Amino acid sequence: MATQTPSKAASSWTAGIRRGTDGIRRWLNETMLAGRPLIWYVTGWRFAVIALVVAILLPLVPTSAYSDIQSLLVAMISVFVYIMLALGLNIVVGYAGLLDLGYVAFFVIGSYTMAAGTYGSINDFAGKLHDLPTLPFILLIPIGAFIAGIFGILLGAPTLRLRGDYLAIVTLGFGEIVPVVFANIPIFFGQTGISATQPAPITTPVGIISFTDPFNHAPFYYLALAVAVLVTLGCYALRSSSIGRAWVAIREDETAAEASGVNLTRTKLLAFALGAFVGGIGGVINTAAFPSITPLGFSFAISITVLIMVVLGGIGSIPGVIIGALVLRLFDVFLLQRINDPVHQSFLVAPVNAPLHVLANVDFNTLKLLIYGIVLVAMILLRPQGLIPDARRRRELKGVGAAPEGVSAVGAFEQEEAGMSAATTADVLDPSEYTGAGSDAQGREG
Amino acid sequence: MAQEQATANSPTHDQAPSLLQINGLVQRFGGLTAVDGVDLDIRKGQIYSVIGPNGAGKTTVFNVITGIYKPSAGQILFDGTQVAGMKPDQIVRRGITRTFQNIRLFNNMTVLENVLVGQHTRLPGDVVSALFRLPNYRRAERRAEQRAIELLGFFGQGMIERKDEYAANLSYAERRRVEIARALGSSPKLMLLDEPTAGMNDAETADAVQYIQRLRREFNLTILLIEHKLQVTMGISDRIAVLDYGKKIAEGVPAEIQRNERVIEAYLGRKAAVE
Ligand SMILES: Nc1ncnc2c1ncn2[C@@H]1O[C@H](COP(=O)(O)OP(=O)(O)O)[C@@H](O)[C@H]1O
Ligand SMILES: [Mg+2]
Repeated sequence: MATQTPSKAASSWTAGIRRGTDGIRRWLNETMLAGRPLIWYVTGWRFAVIALVVAILLPLVPTSAYSDIQSLLVAMISVFVYIMLALGLNIVVGYAGLLDLGYVAFFVIGSYTMAAGTYGSINDFAGKLHDLPTLPFILLIPIGAFIAGIFGILLGAPTLRLRGDYLAIVTLGFGEIVPVVFANIPIFFGQTGISATQPAPITTPVGIISFTDPFNHAPFYYLALAVAVLVTLGCYALRSSSIGRAWVAIREDETAAEASGVNLTRTKLLAFALGAFVGGIGGVINTAAFPSITPLGFSFAISITVLIMVVLGGIGSIPGVIIGALVLRLFDVFLLQRINDPVHQSFLVAPVNAPLHVLANVDFNTLKLLIYGIVLVAMILLRPQGLIPDARRRRELKGVGAAPEGVSAVGAFEQEEAGMSAATTADVLDPSEYTGAGSDAQGREG
Repeated sequence: MAQEQATANSPTHDQAPSLLQINGLVQRFGGLTAVDGVDLDIRKGQIYSVIGPNGAGKTTVFNVITGIYKPSAGQILFDGTQVAGMKPDQIVRRGITRTFQNIRLFNNMTVLENVLVGQHTRLPGDVVSALFRLPNYRRAERRAEQRAIELLGFFGQGMIERKDEYAANLSYAERRRVEIARALGSSPKLMLLDEPTAGMNDAETADAVQYIQRLRREFNLTILLIEHKLQVTMGISDRIAVLDYGKKIAEGVPAEIQRNERVIEAYLGRKAAVE
């Protein structure tokens, strides 16, 4: 993934993309809303406020039970979870500068905490079923977070001396091992997986709120939004604390950081633990929303997807990472299907020799990782600092292939990191989509 | 300046208690013995210089004192406790601080942030304080910021005005100053300065000499100094040790060092003579 000098051929398409993104910015600048250019609304703290307001209002859009708004709410729950994951990975990769390719491990641990904590029974190693007391969902959030955090330390401790590629490989291995362990021990029913019991309804003065009503996803949506906002606020607090400064310092110069009194071991372990902690929260929330999990549904693809969200949005930048997660996850769980179906339908009825008829045989779902890969490569070539870059990262990357001033489409976002960011979070993750079973079937048909 | 040097030199603190005592220090890198049985005894309040040709092992002595390397052999007693083998941050907590020969600032942090990192050991480092911004945490951060500005103010109002500049954008002399301000953040007793005037012109060097003397006075510091410019070391040091090929070949007050045959041969002879 090393940054390559774009070749002549590449430079023509990169120029094309730049022109396109430039066009977006011009459009934002020229389109007026209430006397102001649109870009004014998507810059700095205004963006945070607007995003939060939009996120709060979204479920209030009048809707029938089967409308797209309800499926958008489900998709947004998944988006909120992925925002948590991306923010958590950002602590490790963005703040402390430690490349973690196995982040899915903590998501798994959070997910299994939720499932095992609500399922009511477990196997022993002989395959005999035992009753297990169940715990309320609200308690399982911190429990899942703490267990994941402890595993973060267990992973971090032996890898502290490793850097760069070596650290990436060890973490990658950890991310592969954890799901396989769950698949091979009978306690949580091995490869079959386990189903969580979804959060119980709560009685309030205004009535009973159910988190499982298939015709009203708003309660769970707000729950996931609230957790995502809390995680976001936590990330802001950490970033500007002495711990946050120590992370930047070790990223910049470990020796100088130590000589200034920063304990390297503690500071790095803290990044691993807090990143894992947030990953655990994401797992609990996700499994509460989408209760069936199978261990092999948690694949490397999730680690990579979350990493791409971080890179796309801007390593180290909280608003950037939120946007990265929003864009990719919404694309994944909402837009892709809505592109796929019409394309298939329109080409299936078209004559076989019609131009582009081949698209009838293309399942965009199976191309998802390819599309992500292209996005990632394009970002690294065109805008390595991300969509909404962190000010410090932009400095670090300056002259290493950053787009020339004033060329990038999103240049106006670069005020970045002004205030609270808003947003959304949550995720869906139907495990089957990662098992490859779907694409196999597709392949045989075609 | 001449007068200041005279007053600084008059009590050479020879009778003060030991602050840093190094006995039989050895540091090997593979087959190379970079430091070979060095003894040093630095008294409270001294400005103590280590000189010697390039590659003599001076920086290595600093690196061992500050915990970057574990010594192959020997003792390092700071204020009576053995610090050899401790982690760098533990040594900082005990009161030893340093600057680097090649200036190691956090380039993509602001001047203020750099100096704040220097106060890391004095700030609450627990996650709960950081996450919930408890009152004591906020107070500590506010105090740290005020202190950082005071420390920059040691070098004059001009440095305070640079506080929001990124460290990478500073001039060379300013970078040296920020590194010292950062090093002061841990409230040290002993400061190690590795060639603090390297790369400076005459005016900047004269300025540096003044602030090294002020550091000792205003912060009650003991200073261990590596310095190539002999007009600097001879002027401000209470005592000087000379290293050559990892061994201490001479030690004494500046006048003794200037006359020492072995020093003239090993060091001064190879370089320009002392004026
Ligand atoms: N980390 C290291 N590994 C191997 N050799 C080293 C290391 N650090 C210093 N040296 C060697 O030790 C000797 C002393 O170096 P140094 O202490 O930097 O000298 P000085 O500061 O007196 O110029 C040199 O020969 C240098 O190459
Ligand atoms: Mg040196």
